[in-house]
Amino acid sequence: MSDATIGASGASSGVVGGREGGNVLEYDARMEKFVYDDKIVRMFLFAMIGWGIVAFLVGLIVALLLMLPGIRQWCYDNGWVAMGDFLKTALSFPYLQFGRLRPLHTNAAIFAFAGNAIFAGIYYSTQRLCKTRMASDLLSKLHFWGWQLIIVSAALTLPLGITQGKEYAELEWPIDLMIAVVWLVFFGGNFFWTLLKRRERHMYVALWFYIATIVTVTILHVFNNIWVPVFGGALVKSYSIYAGAQDAMMQWWYGHNAVAFFLTTPFLGMMYYFLPKAAQRPVFSYKLSIIHFWSLVFIYIWAGPHHLHYSPIADWASTLGMIFSLMLWMPSWGGMINGLLTLRGAWHKVASDPVLKFFVVAITFYGMSTFEGPMLSIKAVNGLAHYTDWIIAHVHSGALGWNGMLAFGMMYWLLPRLYQTKLFSTRLAEVHFWVATIGILIYIIPIYVAGITQGLMWRAMNEVGQPQYEFVETVSAIMPMYYLRAIGGTLFLLGALIGFYNFIRTWMARPAVYEEPVHQALPLALATFKPEVKPVSKLNTVADVAKKIDVFSTMWFHRVWERMPVKFTLFVIISVAIASLLELVPTFVIRSNIPTIASVQPYTPLELYGRDVYIANGCYNCHSQNVRPMLAETKRYGEYSKPGEFIYDHPFQWGSRRIGPDLHRVGTKPLTEDWHVRHFEDPQQSVPGSIMPPYPWLMTKKLDFESIPARIRAMQILGVPYPQYEGDARGNTVADARAQAAAIADRVVKQGGQPGLEDKEVVALIAYMNRLGTDLGKPAPTPGEPTAPAPVQADANEQSDDSTKTEAATSSSLPLGQIQSGGR
Amino acid sequence: MSSTPNQNKVDQSINDGGHVPDDPLTDHAYDGIQEYDNPTPGWWTYLWIATIVFSFFYWLVFTLAPKDAGYATRYEIAAARDLKKTFGELGELSPDEPTLIAFLTDAEKARWLKFGESLFKNKCSTCHGSEGTGINGTNLTDDKYIHVKQLTDIVDVISKGRNNGAMPKFESKDLNPTEMTLVAAYVASLRGTNKPGGKPAEPNAVTIDPWPTNRPVSSAR
Repeated sequence: MSDATIGASGASSGVVGGREGGNVLEYDARMEKFVYDDKIVRMFLFAMIGWGIVAFLVGLIVALLLMLPGIRQWCYDNGWVAMGDFLKTALSFPYLQFGRLRPLHTNAAIFAFAGNAIFAGIYYSTQRLCKTRMASDLLSKLHFWGWQLIIVSAALTLPLGITQGKEYAELEWPIDLMIAVVWLVFFGGNFFWTLLKRRERHMYVALWFYIATIVTVTILHVFNNIWVPVFGGALVKSYSIYAGAQDAMMQWWYGHNAVAFFLTTPFLGMMYYFLPKAAQRPVFSYKLSIIHFWSLVFIYIWAGPHHLHYSPIADWASTLGMIFSLMLWMPSWGGMINGLLTLRGAWHKVASDPVLKFFVVAITFYGMSTFEGPMLSIKAVNGLAHYTDWIIAHVHSGALGWNGMLAFGMMYWLLPRLYQTKLFSTRLAEVHFWVATIGILIYIIPIYVAGITQGLMWRAMNEVGQPQYEFVETVSAIMPMYYLRAIGGTLFLLGALIGFYNFIRTWMARPAVYEEPVHQALPLALATFKPEVKPVSKLNTVADVAKKIDVFSTMWFHRVWERMPVKFTLFVIISVAIASLLELVPTFVIRSNIPTIASVQPYTPLELYGRDVYIANGCYNCHSQNVRPMLAETKRYGEYSKPGEFIYDHPFQWGSRRIGPDLHRVGTKPLTEDWHVRHFEDPQQSVPGSIMPPYPWLMTKKLDFESIPARIRAMQILGVPYPQYEGDARGNTVADARAQAAAIADRVVKQGGQPGLEDKEVVALIAYMNRLGTDLGKPAPTPGEPTAPAPVQADANEQSDDSTKTEAATSSSLPLGQIQSGGR
Repeated sequence: MSSTPNQNKVDQSINDGGHVPDDPLTDHAYDGIQEYDNPTPGWWTYLWIATIVFSFFYWLVFTLAPKDAGYATRYEIAAARDLKKTFGELGELSPDEPTLIAFLTDAEKARWLKFGESLFKNKCSTCHGSEGTGINGTNLTDDKYIHVKQLTDIVDVISKGRNNGAMPKFESKDLNPTEMTLVAAYVASLRGTNKPGGKPAEPNAVTIDPWPTNRPVSSAR
């Protein structure tokens, strides 16, 4: 094995002696001997490629799921009736539906593939950059197995519909707890303990990025996952303590910075270690490292609200989200520049070395997506792009291009070193590179086209100022792009399989016993070093302040911080905390940010249950619940969404993508209960061209009425006012839910639909659908009356009308006979 | 950047056929990785400062004028302008028979049926199909009707609904009188167009008298 080293041979090559301050030390009896733990790196690297293939495969499956309804229609149109029916049956299988598998895909790609890549890279480089073995082999092992357990738990629970309903934070509360322990205690504990035991005085830039990753992800995960669990029967369920606009701010503070601190900072750290190693060139600029590290860490946190433009959050937050994203452009590009310019003089090697090829493409995609991100955060651009496939293209150029290619490049660099043999085939690695690169392009280019097409079609108005296209037309228009996307995704998966084969064959050629070189270095306490001296400005004809700036700009003080990990970590925490506090605290304490609306009431027990059905089936993966204040939206969907309408939404369900239409005002639409039943049974029959999967099992799955009191109790703990259900009266929720369910089932029958739905999940979902977005138009309840959902007469002046819609007209205080049975 | 004068040199033993830049080095080395003492590129620094300056002024404008610059205000202005543009010419319509006939017969007014069509596609097409040929709801392009005997019955069916809400009622918050007029006129105009793929007429549907006009309705479209 040949270790790539630059300059004086470092400890990594097994040579006795270390390099301190540029001087090779002589042999010294006080030297400590140590061996690096590469076994843990091998384990994480194998997990990375294994879970990567799973993540890409599930991604391909969800891409196919969006195509199958169209293929099914083609089968019917061309006489392949049996095949069409088979596809319907397959699409109806609840555990394989898009809404449940899409979170599995994103979680697998982020936490399983990228997660294990990060751990492999960090465990390999940290030991070498600190000249020490990881502090605790036990913690390393607990970290590895704990993380794999988390991934398996995710893979089991998400298809079952066990989800918190928050994007990239879907995993339910027991798994949340596991993540907190494994990440902070096992991984963080091990890492910081290693830092403290290090034998290299100063911390290299890669370590700064690792520190930022570990502390920030902990903060994000903990604060976004504060919940009240529901303890009812076998339920594994919780409600976020945040609601509506506040939950949205928390969630996208988390979601955006998960991208920043899970998919960006650790990968930048890995780039700073593996790229100069592979290129055998010094890093372009130490000063740029300092500036772009701190600006990235400080600015990234502010940018979260750009995911919520034109939504019911405060305007000031939206503005901050945009401008900090713009200011983030150059700090992000600092990483790209430092990567690409490190390759000066080594470009000829890119032609022959697949590792460098992967790195170059990764860094290029990083540069492209970190230009695109700020551009998308500009409000006007966002107005076109938000909720469209443009965002899907953007994240895949980041995830496949930046994270994927960097991880694979690192894998090919590590394989010969970890398995102490030659890479099985450099040629196959080249093939992997080209297949993956072409695959990414065939994925993202059509999806960019799809996104822009969709955005333009949504806002297109005809000559009389009405929406030009029905929603389903905007879906049909982009289907060809979905087919191309699947080809691109297949190629990327194929590349990973080639990589897996190369991995296995390299592993098979490993030596019987791994050589474990013994390294030596002085413990820090014994090593001498020259303390940093504050430089004196050479400027002499200028004012003192200019001299101070001159000295400051040498950044000499940063060299001091680099040998103080605790202080350094503290500074990182302060940097990320400032933005978090300044943006989030006002959202929670300034009441004018979320003006209350008197007519907005909590959901009835049945509607709450229906909302849980909505969340469990991942409806938010395709349907937004936020009508934006734009004419094109209000003409299509109805009045734009107001912050006060969501105050009982634990969690919020605004969504981030419109594969289907927005649903916030669906309750105000002239859709009958029977239409909903038929539509769930087989969406393509009700809406030709629709790509929604069928949900026939909603009409047969029993509604678990007995779990309702536990759900209401959790909501009461969160402060949702249900005064009529306090204490012993909570049991009444069951009777009230049954009454409302019976009324809906009755209306379905009267409208000519199927009987016997009064105890099926579908009625709860219909109750929720019919309630959505309707409170805004209702009269405010009279003071003195109970403020909670019942007994609400939906429309007092239409009491006698048989066809009045009355979602909320159920309560323990209302005899069953009084419940209106009018349809809509 | 390092505080001491720099005598570090890149390891010239690297012999990979490439050029190793001779920029000043820092005295750092970690596991063999060295770092150049290069300044940040000028274009990078100036672009960054430019984004900061732009952001500051953008923030200033949006903070000093929060009322005018907010999403809600901008929407209200656009909506008012749009309303004036759309209905300024028409005035407020009421869905009575003469008005409906006028939209069916007057070629100048018939272009407003397009507006009715848009409303129809938005509100009615889930049941009646975007071409009006019927899905759950009835086919509106044939010549047979269940609840309609005369033009104003269309308005009645839309506003009151039928069959226990299987045909839902459209209240004033769903359709204002002007919109009601235009969508009813559009539905009336569909009569007899017999578009392909239409749902067969319901058993209890009957053929009714032509709309009160001298020329075939279908040509009004």
